[in-house]
Amino acid sequence: MSPSTSAYSLNPDAELMDLLDRIANRDELALKALYEQTSSKLYGLAVRVVGNREWAEDVLQEAFMTIWRAAADYRPTLSPPMAWLGLIVRSRGLDFLRRRTADRSGVTQELDEVMAETLAGDSPNPMDTTSASQQAWALHQCMNRMENCQREVVSLAYLRDLSHSELAERLKLPLGTVKTWIRRGLEQLRTCMARFA
Amino acid sequence: MHLPQHPELLDKLAASYALGTLRGGARRRFETLAREQAPVRAAALIWQARIGSVAELQTPIQPDPTVWMRISNLVRADAERQAMRGAHGASAPQGPVGWFRNLFVWRGAAVAGVAVAVIAMVAGMDQRAKLSMEIASLQAQLQATPQIKYVAVLADGKADPSMLVTFDARHNKLLLQRVGGYQEASHKSLQLWALPPSGGPRSLGVLGAEKLLRLSAGEGDVHEIPTLAISLEPKGGVPSAGGPTGPVLFKGALIQKVL
Repeated sequence: MSPSTSAYSLNPDAELMDLLDRIANRDELALKALYEQTSSKLYGLAVRVVGNREWAEDVLQEAFMTIWRAAADYRPTLSPPMAWLGLIVRSRGLDFLRRRTADRSGVTQELDEVMAETLAGDSPNPMDTTSASQQAWALHQCMNRMENCQREVVSLAYLRDLSHSELAERLKLPLGTVKTWIRRGLEQLRTCMARFA
Repeated sequence: MHLPQHPELLDKLAASYALGTLRGGARRRFETLAREQAPVRAAALIWQARIGSVAELQTPIQPDPTVWMRISNLVRADAERQAMRGAHGASAPQGPVGWFRNLFVWRGAAVAGVAVAVIAMVAGMDQRAKLSMEIASLQAQLQATPQIKYVAVLADGKADPSMLVTFDARHNKLLLQRVGGYQEASHKSLQLWALPPSGGPRSLGVLGAEKLLRLSAGEGDVHEIPTLAISLEPKGGVPSAGGPTGPVLFKGALIQKVL
């Protein structure tokens, strides 16, 4: 039994880092523990990135296989563990979308569960800080000050790696509107984040 | 331009660089500056970390329990592959076991996706990915059944898996699942054979046309059998004593699960 066990609940980052170290040593139980702790958070993210729950399952699977193979690369990144895990899920998700686009070029866009909800969303704060790192907490504080639509467009631009015109097309909004929302959103974020620097 | 002397502009560029909305020539110019000037690079890293946190703020959704089963199976396959590599050394014999390991290799690659899937964007890839999924999810189901003692993946001459065979010691059943697209003609039947280390092939049963079928078998029928094979026979199959009369279509190592 590791001496840090009792400190786990007090420091979730330390627990995740400990699990990642064990995964780097090919400890399957550690991978299972990591999955139990993070899968719902990461699956929620995967759904947002690819816009489809079934695809997101494949992405989550690929992400965990990446984590299984690359856990040793975590420490040198100096990132909070959840940020690193989130980065892996996003890039596996973007890989998945690129593969799909390449496979089915010319096929009209399928129903995107996320896009359909994005601008209909009236929920005042769709962001969730469960197990978020300190850095994410700061971003959350700042994004809360944005208008819903700005926050959503900024989030989607990043999560899906979309340009202004791609966003305008997907969200069926005028290009000028998207540009304005992003510019204002980023501007607000900049002044707000400066206070956390 | 010496960007660090214009902190506000640097901050703005770094933020939209990290968000991904800085595109084209502007993006390339920013990247060049970042490579040349450490403060520019630092600003880019700061904003990448900040914006990247968006990933941590998404609403959690509980994934289906089968996802973990799939992952767990792939991880186990990965571990088995490592173990096999260790056991056989670099000069492993080719043959059923050789391609069986290869199956793990390409499955691992297809599922991990990373470089291989992106580079090898050929039409066949999707098919393979689907097949690997099928096998992974089937294996997940197998994992949930504690009495599976033997597993074999029978492949055709091109090493494409065509049949997954498992032996359920609790029910004394052989479970066969067609995984490839092969379908015999209506006047023919597929017959499953055990190929013992010595003596002739012994029939384990004749397959129906269903995708998933069960054959009754005792553990003695599969114990210490290294290889299973499927031959194409006249409708209804042939008697065991005479051995197969038609061509062997699929063949593979029978592996005892050590759990």
